[in-house]
Amino acid sequence: MQRRTLLAVVPAALVAAGTAGCSSGSSDGPVTLRFLSLAWQKESIAANKKLVAEWNKKNPKIQVKYVQGSWDNVHDQLVTAFEGGDAPDVIHDESPDIAGFAAQNYLQDLTDLLPSALKNDISAQSWDTVKFAGGGIYGVPFLQESQIFVANRKLLQQAKVRIPTVDAPWTWDEYAEVCRKLTVKGKQYGVAWPLSAPVNKVLNLSLNFDGTFFGTSGGKTTVHVGDNEKQVLRRIHDQLWVDHSADPATVGMKGADPLPAFFAGKYAMVPAGVYFRQQVVQGAPKGFDWVTIPPLKGTSQHQGATSQTLSIPADGKNQKQAMQFISFLLNGPNQATLALGDWLVPTSKEAAKDPRLTTTKDDWNVATASQQNLVVAPYLKVDGFDEWKTKVATPAMQQYFNNKISLDALATKLVKDGNEVLKRYQK
Amino acid sequence: MSTARRGGVGTPLKYLALLGYLVFLAFPLAWLASTALKTPREMASLDPTWIPRHPTLANFAEAFREQNLTQSAGNSLLVALTAAVLTVLLALPAAYALVRFRSVLNKLALAWVLVSQVFPFILVIIPLFMILKQLDLVNTRGGLILVYLTFNLPFALWMLQGYVRGVPKELEEAASVDGAGRLRVLRTVVAPLLAPGVVATFLFAFISSWNEFMFALVLLKDPDLATLPLTLVRFTGADGVARLGPLAAAALLATIPSLALFAVIQRRLTAGLLAGAVKG
Amino acid sequence: MTAATATLAANAKPVRRKGFEPAVLGLVAPALLPVLVLSVAPLLYGIYLGFTDARAGRNMPVHVTGFANYVELFGDADFWGSFRIGLVWAVGVTVLQFAAALGLALLLNQKLRGRWLARTLTLVPWAMPPVVVGLMWRLVYHPQAGILNSTLKDLHLISSNVDWLNSFTLALPAVIAVGVWAGMPQTTITLLAGLQAVPGELTEAATVDGASTWQRFRAVTWPALRPVVTAITALDFIWNINQFGLVYVLTQGGPGGQTRLPMLFAYEEAFRYGFFGYAASLGVAIVLVVLVVLAFYLRRMLKEAV
Repeated sequence: MQRRTLLAVVPAALVAAGTAGCSSGSSDGPVTLRFLSLAWQKESIAANKKLVAEWNKKNPKIQVKYVQGSWDNVHDQLVTAFEGGDAPDVIHDESPDIAGFAAQNYLQDLTDLLPSALKNDISAQSWDTVKFAGGGIYGVPFLQESQIFVANRKLLQQAKVRIPTVDAPWTWDEYAEVCRKLTVKGKQYGVAWPLSAPVNKVLNLSLNFDGTFFGTSGGKTTVHVGDNEKQVLRRIHDQLWVDHSADPATVGMKGADPLPAFFAGKYAMVPAGVYFRQQVVQGAPKGFDWVTIPPLKGTSQHQGATSQTLSIPADGKNQKQAMQFISFLLNGPNQATLALGDWLVPTSKEAAKDPRLTTTKDDWNVATASQQNLVVAPYLKVDGFDEWKTKVATPAMQQYFNNKISLDALATKLVKDGNEVLKRYQK
Repeated sequence: MSTARRGGVGTPLKYLALLGYLVFLAFPLAWLASTALKTPREMASLDPTWIPRHPTLANFAEAFREQNLTQSAGNSLLVALTAAVLTVLLALPAAYALVRFRSVLNKLALAWVLVSQVFPFILVIIPLFMILKQLDLVNTRGGLILVYLTFNLPFALWMLQGYVRGVPKELEEAASVDGAGRLRVLRTVVAPLLAPGVVATFLFAFISSWNEFMFALVLLKDPDLATLPLTLVRFTGADGVARLGPLAAAALLATIPSLALFAVIQRRLTAGLLAGAVKG
Repeated sequence: MTAATATLAANAKPVRRKGFEPAVLGLVAPALLPVLVLSVAPLLYGIYLGFTDARAGRNMPVHVTGFANYVELFGDADFWGSFRIGLVWAVGVTVLQFAAALGLALLLNQKLRGRWLARTLTLVPWAMPPVVVGLMWRLVYHPQAGILNSTLKDLHLISSNVDWLNSFTLALPAVIAVGVWAGMPQTTITLLAGLQAVPGELTEAATVDGASTWQRFRAVTWPALRPVVTAITALDFIWNINQFGLVYVLTQGGPGGQTRLPMLFAYEEAFRYGFFGYAASLGVAIVLVVLVVLAFYLRRMLKEAV
């Protein structure tokens, strides 16, 4: 909120105090950093706490206070903290969210703070997911998620379909065929698509067919939905309403909702992020044999990627120390630990070589290999994407996947209503 | 509404209706308890059962081991109790005055109370945060209590004035005619009739403070100050996925104190407070 | 007490106090002071924002734009669409909640065995932390592993699973049911407290006179209860129109925007997209509509207050 014209009760002095000494980090006296972490899995919380304790022992002058937040509320928490000039020193978030905060100048451009070791260890593709507002770097990317399928191996074997590998993945056509084979009317579906939040999933997968959904010309970004963009949409819709190889009952579900029926053998496959393996390991009945299906291939295996990130606020008083802590937390071995804790893929090249992340146990090898298919998601760079997603794309795609509107009607909505929304951000 | 007379065929029907209500209102608590005792494997079962097949206390152990639930509960209790007591102490005299002494000012005050409830918190939260920051109340329990008091007061006033209005003024006046002093009238005639309303208001204030999330999230930064809702939410993840077992276990433990508190108040209230006081 | 009843029976004329007593200020001021400092100031600021182009951002300049936000708002079809849904939601929940709660309060006010336990259990929806409420109901409504579908199937009321929260026709009623559930304790306890304040002598006197239950309710209970009824229904309506967290957890406004409440709309404007100015004007618009509704509903009560 604008401070100069704020009510008399909030004097400018307050703000001055908040910004003074910003980006100086000059004092070498003991400091305490607040680290807002969003880890929530048991193993992940334990890993974070352990690493923080280790750091605090080694660095008596830079003490880190571990503060646990939650994904559902972190955005609201940060908006208020930024507006009030009181943000944590190290912020755990994800690239779609920090894109907005970067555009609002709340986050520090880390380009000059980054130590080269950290910079070189993280893949270029990952850095792309945190570059906003004129090429600045607004977070250190550390965990990524690629889209895979978790399948019931027994059902696949019974249907005598080829189980794909990293080197020989399924194409979308082959996958559709397999799903038809795996469908037993009234008893079993080939796949269960949980689509209550369809947009990111569809957009990430559409890169399989070079579907980007957004184009920029003359500094103006617009939505476009052509044949490439329609591919994944149509293919999922066909499974639901033409092939009947996907259960329409799961269209309103999210996350782990289809799991009970998956475990009961009602679905042969569930599409999900790599983290989903954890849910499967934890919930599967004894003797349940599952397998991770690597990313499907369209014209390519490319998928849109976003990252979990650590950022530093622009008004942070101890930016140098914060960066020292981040470099420690995200070095190769530590990233491997964090990736294991969250069942995600690390951005660190060194971490990706960790034997724990390349073992065939729980298909870690498939998960880690899938990182090579990730390219930066185009929508990350679109100002106003969030509003387009909430107001236009989500309801329209829900209607489409519930078979209420046609693909052409969907395309028209996405483009026409969508461009209206985007205009607001290009004034 | 029942039209049956006491002791007639109506009574079983009344119990049946009451049972229906209680099933509707309380079954999620039973489900919460059931979930808290289940293993992750059983939670992912396609045919859920009320009684866990393989009951376990592991969720409780995990919840306690990982999060400082006792400390959060202590924080919550302190904050909610203080806020609720202050709310009633401040609102009761004000409500009484507003109803019994009528003036334009009172009309304005009442209207304001209502208007302030209409305004959504999203309009308020950021400026409020900045005011509290200036008063050095961010990251303190005192600040949170003050916020809860502020947001409890209007509705407490509004509810209490309704109850005061429901006490026939004639009773009060009749007692005055009998020669009782104003304070005595308040104590012996008005207070007993208002007691249920005061208890209800206290409960409102207590529970809404006990469960409040957003202001606590924004105001408290130190994990040692965290209230229960802040701690509970740590068991939820992204994309609607949560660690249901520990969450259910912790939520169950967070629910019970409010219910126990009410049960105690309730028993005392029905046992004697009302009847006894009225006769006295 | 007999004197009191006698006076009452004689239908004493209400004595109206005129003038202004300084004592009143002393009683009212402590309660109004915190409200003034901590809610009036932010509110005024919020209203001011509605006349600006304020956006989220560090050192973002703000310009006063007069009524520009309100002009835009009038043409915002999405917003008015959600407003319509919001009214269905708020009126639906408030009315159903009141009807159900009155029935329950009357039951709880009777001398039934174990009513202290019943009264306690009535509080369950309210005592459960909101964080789990949404999650629990999602589990209850789960189309395959949900306890609702499995119970309804056991009772042979449905033959195949119903996808409650994803149905374009059932989603709104399904969330309204949760809304009624969640607000029942407040309404019930309030009404119950109101019922308990109805002087027993009056009911007994009426019973002696041979009045039926319904007559007693009409002649004695209802008039005494009415101020409480007005107060709680007005508040319920306001709370419900301001509510969005619960519904958001259940459906995120879906399917296809069927459960998109206006306050969710305003919240997203402010916190997700950062258009503080426009969001404030949406908030003010909602407030104005609610106030008109309430003024109509409460005109009599406010008249009495003078």
